[in-house]
Amino acid sequence: MGGSARLLLLLPTRTYRTEDFIDAAHTLGVDLVCASEKPSTLEALAPDSLLTLDFADPDAAASSVAGWSKERPLAAVVGVDDVTAAAAAAIAARLGLRASAPSAVAAARDKFQMRQCLAAAGLRVPRFRRIALGENPVLAARGVEFPCVLKPLSLSASRGVIRANTTEQFVVAFKRITALLARDDVTVSGDAARYLLAEEYVPGLEVALEGLLIDGRLHVLALFDKPDPLEGPFFEETIYITPSRLPEVVQQAIRTTTAAACAALGLTEGPIHAELRVNDDGPWVLEIAARSIGGLCSRTLRFGTGMTLEEIILRHALGWPIDTLERQRPAAGVMMIPIPRGGTLKAVQGVEDAKATAHVEDVVISVHVGQEVVPLPEGWQYLGFIFARAAAPADVEDALRIAHSRLKFRIA
Amino acid sequence: MTEAATPDLKSRVQELIDTMINPAVAGHGGFVELLDVQDNRVYLTMGGGCQGCGAADVTLKAGIERLIKEEIPEVVEVLDTTDHSQGTNPYYTAGKS
Repeated sequence: MGGSARLLLLLPTRTYRTEDFIDAAHTLGVDLVCASEKPSTLEALAPDSLLTLDFADPDAAASSVAGWSKERPLAAVVGVDDVTAAAAAAIAARLGLRASAPSAVAAARDKFQMRQCLAAAGLRVPRFRRIALGENPVLAARGVEFPCVLKPLSLSASRGVIRANTTEQFVVAFKRITALLARDDVTVSGDAARYLLAEEYVPGLEVALEGLLIDGRLHVLALFDKPDPLEGPFFEETIYITPSRLPEVVQQAIRTTTAAACAALGLTEGPIHAELRVNDDGPWVLEIAARSIGGLCSRTLRFGTGMTLEEIILRHALGWPIDTLERQRPAAGVMMIPIPRGGTLKAVQGVEDAKATAHVEDVVISVHVGQEVVPLPEGWQYLGFIFARAAAPADVEDALRIAHSRLKFRIA
Repeated sequence: MTEAATPDLKSRVQELIDTMINPAVAGHGGFVELLDVQDNRVYLTMGGGCQGCGAADVTLKAGIERLIKEEIPEVVEVLDTTDHSQGTNPYYTAGKS
């Protein structure tokens, strides 16, 4: 079945997702083509398998690929993060490949558009307001109720998300986000470079839902609890554990709400990653991204006899059969190791001890000694990832916390 | 039981690395070293800017492997044995988008 099927993977140079997607492509035996936003040093020598595309301009990327693929027909295109999902959708639309509509992916990418779509569909959303970065923040604060959350329109993984309880905190957060969006390592354009979103703070538990859309139907692949409280002022994601320990009736409400939100956005095909809050009012969709889970977190998931999430995503894009979407039974979890303070990483100790923790499968340190590390809300990295698997979610959570306590990061 | 490469096959891979691959990856401060060829599988390490680089897998699978297999069709796979966690100066580092 493999062999001749040519697959285009859109892989930003800074994504965590490269290894897992390339491994999946290798497992499937496809003819792999990789595109990045910056040229590979080998592109001139391997023009049939390496491309450079402007991911920030999906239409331009689609035009480039349309020309390139005349002599090299593509069977599928897959983006691995928010930016590349938009480019992949544009390419797929141009070439008639399987993906959600570009307009739907764009709506999911822009938190303001998303809020509008969800509200118009009658879904429960926090009160929200888009504010131009050029506005006077003191005056802008008069138009919101406290506590509120300020966030960029398009960054992911809680980057730039700040809670404000007072006008003073609002102004500080506003200026901080404005400065963040001007950083060299932030790539935003259009509205995302000119506005931020201020919205009502929604108290409650937070969960993440990983799903796959096939012909407009949502298949839930995993529901993750986030046991660490996310109450601000920053919203650092740490532990994800599946299966959820929430009552089945609540889980069903989360699934139903997420499916309705996908429909409201017009998403019909491919992976989605949703973040929701749950309180006495029910589930609130915080966001739905037209991509799979970020970082290395997908390594917690195995399906059927060991299929990875990336294999499922590639099989779906290729239109190949998928034996099962059933997650393997043991509970599993990941800790995204937070950055406690800014500075330069000088040393990491305790990795072997952490790996030796009962139920821990692996510990991956993803920054290198000598590297600058920046905490939230400006930060863009994790120190690494801890993975655990056990019979019960509580055992997974304990293992992750014990392993983390054994790691020592010297940052100066 | 593994079969060592004929001197000819290994030297052809080495020549390709010396004349085409390393001059290219040097553009990002990287280099590739050939460890061995066994059962028509090429084992190599990546150093400098390639070691720990977020795009190392792209370079390996869509670049180096593709090139070697095109030039030397009897090669079936190229395997990276690098400990990327020890990279101290990777050209690209992974992060959130």
